[in-house]
Amino acid sequence: MLGATEEDHAVPTFPTEPWFQDLIAQINGSADYVEAAATWEGDISFLVEAEPDKGIPEDVWGLLDLWHGTCRGGGVVDEARGKASAYVIRAPYSRWKEVVVGDLDPVRAMMQGKLRVQGDLPTIVRYVRAANELVHLCGEVETTFPDEG
Amino acid sequence: MRAVVFEDAGVVRVADVPDPVVVDPGDAIVRVSRTAICGSDLHFFHLKAPVAPGDVLGHEAVGVVESVGGGVTSVAPGDRVIVAFDIACGSCWFCRRGETQLCDEAAALGAGTFGGDLPGAQAELVRVPFADVNLLLVPDALDDERALFVGDVLTTGFYAASIARIGPDDTVAVVGMGPVGFFAAQAARALGARSVHALDLDADRLALAERVGAIPVDVTARHPATALAEATDGRGADVVIEAVGSPTAFESAVNVVRRGGRVVVVGVYAGETVEMQLGVYWARALELKFVGLCPVHAWWDRALAAVVAGTIDPIPLISHRLPLEDAPRGYELFDRREATKVVLTP
Repeated sequence: MLGATEEDHAVPTFPTEPWFQDLIAQINGSADYVEAAATWEGDISFLVEAEPDKGIPEDVWGLLDLWHGTCRGGGVVDEARGKASAYVIRAPYSRWKEVVVGDLDPVRAMMQGKLRVQGDLPTIVRYVRAANELVHLCGEVETTFPDEG
Repeated sequence: MRAVVFEDAGVVRVADVPDPVVVDPGDAIVRVSRTAICGSDLHFFHLKAPVAPGDVLGHEAVGVVESVGGGVTSVAPGDRVIVAFDIACGSCWFCRRGETQLCDEAAALGAGTFGGDLPGAQAELVRVPFADVNLLLVPDALDDERALFVGDVLTTGFYAASIARIGPDDTVAVVGMGPVGFFAAQAARALGARSVHALDLDADRLALAERVGAIPVDVTARHPATALAEATDGRGADVVIEAVGSPTAFESAVNVVRRGGRVVVVGVYAGETVEMQLGVYWARALELKFVGLCPVHAWWDRALAAVVAGTIDPIPLISHRLPLEDAPRGYELFDRREATKVVLTP
C-alpha cells in the first residue's frame, strides 16, 4: 500500500493513508464544511486511477464517511469497500491532482465527465458548496505528489 | 476439396469436403488463392456463436472465379476477385440505400446458423451468392495479399474512420490496435488527421501502429485520458474510434474524447452492459455512433483505391503466412495473440 512507508510527521503524499487522515482532520476542523454539509448523508469513495508513469502503479481507493457535516472516518480502503460506497467518484491521478491543487472545479468537472460519478449525480451536485469546501480543504493539506521531485 | 472445418470448442481441422456447386443463377464459385483468420472466426472457434461440427469456417478471401450461374453478369471465369465478408442481395430497400449490412437477405460466409449456414472461405473453393454484388474485381497491379483484407477488416476500419468525419485539425484516438483498429488508424491519417493516437496494451500491436505513423500509447504505462489530455491542451481527442468491443474499451473511448467530440464504436458487442450518466453525456454534447457491421459493398471501391494509392498498407499486419493445411496452428497462434494476422494459402 502506498501509505505504508509514510512517516507520521512527514509531509504526506497524495493519495496515501496519511494524506487522507490529514484531510479528515481538516474536514472535522472546518466550521464552513459543517454548515455546507449539515444535511449530507453518505460515504464517498475516490478512485484514483493508476498512472504508472506518474508514480501511481495501481488504482488507489480513498474513502470519506461523511455524515451531517463531519467525517466519521475513512482512509485508503480496498476495492471491495470502495465500490460499496453510496458514491464513487473516479478519475486518473493527474485529474485528481488538478482538483487537489485547485485547478479544476469539481462540480463542473463532474458535469463534464472529467470526474466520473457513480451514484445519484443530481444529489451530489446540489451540495456544490460542500464539494467546493472539500476541495478547499484538500488544498489546506500540506501535500507532496509522487510525480514531483 | 480441402477446407478448414470446426470440430469442437477450441478445435479446428483441415478435412476433405464436397466441392461447392452453383445452386442459384446468381452464384459464383471462386477458387481461393488467399484466405485469412479473422477475430470473428474466434467466436466460432470457441463456440460462442452456433456452429456445427464439420461446418467450413472463414469469410476473408481473394481468388479467381471458377464458374458462374446464368444470372451473373459482372464477373466471369478467370476474373480475380475479392469476396465480401457479409453477403447482401443488392436489391432490397436497404441495399439500394447502400446499407448492405442491413440487407433483408443478409448472410455471412462461414458463420453457422447466424450466417445462413453458408460454407466458409477457408477452403480451396467457395460458393458466393449474389455474385454480382458480393465480388469485387481486383486491379491487375494489386497482388492478392494487398487485396485480401478489402473484403472485411480493411474496409471496416476505413469505414469507421470515414463516418467519423475526420478533419485536418482533428486529434484522433483509436482504442485497440487489432486489425480493424490498425486500418482505422491508417485511414484516419489518410483522411488528414493532425495526429492519430493508438491505444493498446500489446507491445507488438503498438509497434505496428507506430510503423504506420500513429503515436503509440501503452495503456499499461500511461492513463489514456491523461495521454490525450496532454496532447490537446487538456481537451481530449476530437474523434475516438473504439475498435475493441468491450465495456472497458467503450468507457475508455468516452473518457478520452473531448466535449462535443465524436465516438465511433466499431468494436463488436453482444450482451455487454455499461452504466452511463445520461446527463453527463448530454452536457458533454457527445456524438456517439454505433457502426454495426460494415456495409462493405458501399465502401470497398474507396478502400481499394486507398490501397492502390498506397495510403493504406495492409502488409505490415500479416505476421504469419501458412499453408491451409496448417490452419489449426494458425488458429492457435491468433487465439493466443501471438499472431497479428494469419494468411492461409490453399
